[in-house]
Amino acid sequence: MKKILMAILCVAMACGIGVAAVGCGGEKMSDTIAVITRESGSGTRGAFIELTGVEQKNAEGKKVDRTVSTAEVANATSVVLQKVSDNPSAIGYISLGSLNDKVKAVPFEGVEATVANIESGEYTLSRPFNIAYKADNDNATLADFITFLKSTNVTETINNEGFIAPAATEAYTKPATAPTEELVINGSSSVHPLMEVLVEAYVEASGVEASKVKLSFNDSTQGMTGAMNGTYDLGMASRELSEDEAAALESYVLATDGIAVIVNKTNPIETISKEQLCNIYIGEVTKWSEIGVTVA
Amino acid sequence: MTEQTMQAAAAVKKRTKIAWKELLMKLVFILAAILFVAAVLTICIFIFAQAVPAVAEIGFFKFLFGSVWAPNNDVPSYGIATMIVGSCYITAGALIIGVPIGLLTAVFMARYCPRPLYRVMKPMTNILAGIPSIVYGYFGVCVMVPFIRRTFGGTGSSILTASVILGIMILPTIISVSENALRAVPKSYYEGALALGATKERAIIFTEVPAAKSGIMTSIILGLGRVIGETMAVVMIAGNQTAFPSSILDGVRTMTANIVLELGYATGLHRGALIATAAVLFVFILIITILVSLIRKKAK
Repeated sequence: MKKILMAILCVAMACGIGVAAVGCGGEKMSDTIAVITRESGSGTRGAFIELTGVEQKNAEGKKVDRTVSTAEVANATSVVLQKVSDNPSAIGYISLGSLNDKVKAVPFEGVEATVANIESGEYTLSRPFNIAYKADNDNATLADFITFLKSTNVTETINNEGFIAPAATEAYTKPATAPTEELVINGSSSVHPLMEVLVEAYVEASGVEASKVKLSFNDSTQGMTGAMNGTYDLGMASRELSEDEAAALESYVLATDGIAVIVNKTNPIETISKEQLCNIYIGEVTKWSEIGVTVA
Repeated sequence: MTEQTMQAAAAVKKRTKIAWKELLMKLVFILAAILFVAAVLTICIFIFAQAVPAVAEIGFFKFLFGSVWAPNNDVPSYGIATMIVGSCYITAGALIIGVPIGLLTAVFMARYCPRPLYRVMKPMTNILAGIPSIVYGYFGVCVMVPFIRRTFGGTGSSILTASVILGIMILPTIISVSENALRAVPKSYYEGALALGATKERAIIFTEVPAAKSGIMTSIILGLGRVIGETMAVVMIAGNQTAFPSSILDGVRTMTANIVLELGYATGLHRGALIATAAVLFVFILIITILVSLIRKKAK
């Protein structure tokens, strides 16, 4: 009896391993496009739908997000990457800074998604990383930090992170006495990783105590609202400021971030136009063959 | 003072001491009960206080039966019908997969399992119960999603995938509660069935399992509660589309997924609508609990 049970157990385990092995085999691309998008509210989605025309004004002049309801919603950049690298017929979009070699970035309107092309303005799927603060905020640490962010000291750091730094001319000079006021920074989760690196560099360059800079993240809108009502000294937004935000706050484009359209590495697609991309995301185009991609 | 009176005095003292202790413990128990009730009430009040105004503003029927969820449009639309359907499908799917496997495993473990194997299997169910749901989700994304896509087509993130993963997730609950219920059935039931000429299988399936019905029902309800409330794993593998599915290979968004996806960004009415989604979930669980207690009463 025991021997039979053991034998059954062994067979079951062998089956399990077999299934796993089959799962590792190659997979063919299917003609149906698997559209992957981000959750509404995400800064990346906001920028993407605006830049591609997925978001459009209707007859009454109200903005409508037309993303097709059958698009799969991934709740993080890493999940988009995972799904696209797994699924040969998937398409998705992520921040250029998060691009890795497990997926293929599709040239947009024939232009490669590279930092150089965003800088030259040829690659148009890009968005600004804004920082904003109240003009009448007399926090000494804030003033010093802004000077630092606008200096030539950060250019290299920003570029190294995969973003494009604006042209700066002046170098940062360390203040005679480091400011001691507390600086609270909050806002977009897309800007946060970059800001983390910059804060680290700032602490080193200025001699400000690291504990005085409180950096955290939620999202662009909350960051701007917090900056306006004084909860945060400095807000971060991964989009253009809205009218009332721009009216209430001083803002500065810290860096420019590109959005990369990504597909599986096995996808032979060579370029995608804004119109094609828009049509895919609003559900007008559902097959790869409709946009001229031959499925092997 | 005689020795007797001294003894009597000591006994009285002891008794009052015991009475005091009893009173103290009574208070501790009451306090615990009050805390528990207070916690439930606070959550209820918190949810409904925010949900009711939001639903009133959106419109009760538009909210429950509207199929368009577009909170970020200039003219937002908050309809959660697709998510109610999604939650129902995934819950049903997970139960269809999890209950038979769990129940049969429980029977095996209670009545067939040889000792050495039991010593391995019991800790295994406990380990399965202890795995965090995000790990189930990650496993789902990396293994189940590609597997379903390759085997059945579609994108892989589907009702089927979520049902399988959640079905596995509820196994430990169903196994351990059902197993205990089966073990609690008096030996005489089994022996009586054998004496009447039943085989071992018949005795177990037709006398012991029905006798343990109440415990088995409890295990299913606990599993159901876990499935309908599960969030992290589902959000990673169910696709989260806000559309009615046309097959089990289509993705859906559950109510929990909707809350976790957007709560971080939501403000104003959008936030209210998400909390109202939680309220609907709450009412669902309430209805299920009431239904089950009705069924049980009838069965008795």
